[in-house]
Amino acid sequence: MPEYIAKKSALTDFFKALSAGRRLLTPQGAGDQCRLAETAPDQVKLDYVNTHMSPKTLFFPQTEKLMAFHKDASKPDANIYSCAGDKAVPTVVFGLRPCDARGLSVANKVFQNDRFTDPYWKGKFDQTVSVGLACAAPAPQCFCAAMGGSPYGLTGLDILAFRLEGGDLGLKAGSEAGEALLKDLKLESADLAAVFNSQQAAAIQAQGVAPDYRPIDEANLMALFQDPHWLSTAENCLNCGVCTFFCPTCHCFDIQDEQDEKGGVRMRNWDTCMSWLFTVHGTGHNPRPSKTERVRQRFMHKLKYIPLKQDGVRGCTGCGRCVAMCPVNIDIRAVALKMCQSSAPSQA
Amino acid sequence: MPALEDVAKKIRESAKRLLAEGRAEVVVGYRRGTIPLTTAPFFARTAEECDQLVWSNFARINLANYLPGRKKVALVAKGCDARSAVGQVVENQIPRDELYVIGVPCTGMVDNALVAAKEPRPIREVVETTDDSFTLKGEGYSVEVRKEEVLRRNCRTCAHRTPKLADELAAPEVPGATPDDFADIKALASKTPAERLAHFKDLIKDCLRCYACRNACPLCYCPICFVDETRPQWLGKSNDPMDTLTFHLLRGLHCSGRCTSCGACETVCPVNIKVREFNRILELTVQKEWQYEPGLSWDQKPPLTMFQTDDAAEFIK
Amino acid sequence: MSDFEPKIVAFFCNWCTYGAADLAGVSRLEYPPNFRVVRLPCTGRLNPKFIMEAFKRGADGVWVSGCHPGDCHYIAGNYHARRKFILLHQLLESIGVEPDRLRFSWISSAEANKFQAIARDVVEHVKACGPNLAFRKEELKLGLAEVA
Repeated sequence: MPEYIAKKSALTDFFKALSAGRRLLTPQGAGDQCRLAETAPDQVKLDYVNTHMSPKTLFFPQTEKLMAFHKDASKPDANIYSCAGDKAVPTVVFGLRPCDARGLSVANKVFQNDRFTDPYWKGKFDQTVSVGLACAAPAPQCFCAAMGGSPYGLTGLDILAFRLEGGDLGLKAGSEAGEALLKDLKLESADLAAVFNSQQAAAIQAQGVAPDYRPIDEANLMALFQDPHWLSTAENCLNCGVCTFFCPTCHCFDIQDEQDEKGGVRMRNWDTCMSWLFTVHGTGHNPRPSKTERVRQRFMHKLKYIPLKQDGVRGCTGCGRCVAMCPVNIDIRAVALKMCQSSAPSQA
Repeated sequence: MPALEDVAKKIRESAKRLLAEGRAEVVVGYRRGTIPLTTAPFFARTAEECDQLVWSNFARINLANYLPGRKKVALVAKGCDARSAVGQVVENQIPRDELYVIGVPCTGMVDNALVAAKEPRPIREVVETTDDSFTLKGEGYSVEVRKEEVLRRNCRTCAHRTPKLADELAAPEVPGATPDDFADIKALASKTPAERLAHFKDLIKDCLRCYACRNACPLCYCPICFVDETRPQWLGKSNDPMDTLTFHLLRGLHCSGRCTSCGACETVCPVNIKVREFNRILELTVQKEWQYEPGLSWDQKPPLTMFQTDDAAEFIK
Repeated sequence: MSDFEPKIVAFFCNWCTYGAADLAGVSRLEYPPNFRVVRLPCTGRLNPKFIMEAFKRGADGVWVSGCHPGDCHYIAGNYHARRKFILLHQLLESIGVEPDRLRFSWISSAEANKFQAIARDVVEHVKACGPNLAFRKEELKLGLAEVA
């Protein structure tokens, strides 16, 4: 597949064409205010680090209506639940980072797979064109390469943009839909494979030497689970759940019903495995009674359970949000290294 | 201005001595963080582990949070943390004789949001040697920052920087700063109720209800928090602004008369909400009504556990 | 606004104000019917979250009433309650709840006339505030139209 070029002088036209018939979302704002927002084609920014929250909020908002009923007794469907939810709007997101796109593809397999399809996620996900922007320079907390990704990775993206010298954008298709869209946009095509590869190699090198986390993949699950290091790993955890709320692949939710005088809503809200309430049973029994079990659950889920279920793909994509946001500096890279040691053959 | 390494050396010496004497089985302190501008709470149980203890301008977390239920513990504590530890002894969360406080007179801790505002470029490394400045390093730059300019709000108005009730001090005493004048809280009175409510709803609009503020707080040790109660369930789980506001109001009330303004709640907030505004409204009232500041005495009861028969409450008619 | 009839949640101590309401009734003292009374064993039992719950669910006002200081059936329940009320009152006023929406009073079981007077006064003040639209949960957005 050839690559394409969007000229610096015609970037506004490019974004206009890209967003024809769709709303355009791009990262806007700086620092902790950086978030995906609806953007005019001439307002797109290229100089951000990453959005503060992960882009999972697009398809899996913190609170989402699933079903609703009204109490208007004069109508035949009073007090009967029917499907509700926010209407999906055709959207193009520009500026996803490859780590986040890969994270969304992991979460996508949870919400859409051969056994189950979540209509609320699917509606929004299927109507969204994902355009990434490659990371030429990593942020201090970045480690996507160590987690098997790349700052120039195409996984989960329809199109990946990368910056060329002089301010042009190189564009590479990541999916058939992306390829078709790029053809439609009538851009200048070019062979940028060499530029792409050298930029990618430099970006990966800038992240430093990647530790080898493969021993976790090979380790015995119960050996990892029973390792005593969890006690000390979890000791300073506050169980706040910031890591899970900011993670692009964390997808656990809690279903709640609420009603008022006029009707009722069944909704799902983000939940977190860091919370005591997450696993407490109706009987009062809690299978994860202390923070040690809860912390273990999070890291085992990211680094062992998801790979087992998704053909070796890790549940961590190295976006670094949990590392940067954790109030007590529990660093998933350090935990992964502990897990590597615990999975030494003598303990398996 | 003492060198941070000298303070750390004192902390390590004391920690090792306390472990060797059997006075403590664990020393709760700070170790270096894995990314710039952080430290991590650390639990040292052996002499080797004690060598990882550090002192830093980024030692923000209140370690008294880890005390309840522990036995034979030594605590590395700033002025505010030591007051929290005293509060926990007063509230019977840990017996006095199980606790040893290594106090560290403190000149305030750094607010990372202010650092980010000052230096928007990615920060790869922080070099800190003294407690009044540090150097930020990144791609092709190196900037010195004076700590005074990036102190947390609560540190700027801390009157109790030296832990008065510590068992020992790891650094020379420092004078307290000018206390909080509560100017912004007092100014609320000149706004209309609708303006005030709008202000507070705006203040918490980004709240994710992660409850990091609660979990980082040494006062929040209830086995089951009211937000987690299910029979009945007091709070909805959605991002409804009134449910969120209710959480913040009740959290504030639960901390009233006990809060030492350690700022842990604001430090850990992932969306930088100034949650202490709720606490400070109540702090002002507690000081005005009962002239009480928590954590300054081993035997003075918190104001909400006692009463005077002549407590003034003109509004109750 | 004249036909606005507020809903007011009233938390009464069993040993005093609740009795005063009863006495007012049997004495044929007329007072407005805008209250939904929750009987408490003592104002010391009043957890601030009860008041928040009332407002959250749309109460236009809340009225808390207990025994005069010194008269508590449990010796000191209302003394403890008084300290809580001082903080709660200050907090809610500071964050923008109109002071007239939240009323505290001491009414003994013999003070039927005082009960009548304060009941009228509470309703009058809450009426003047108008319906509670800001300090309550938002109406659920059912979103049914989008589905249809």
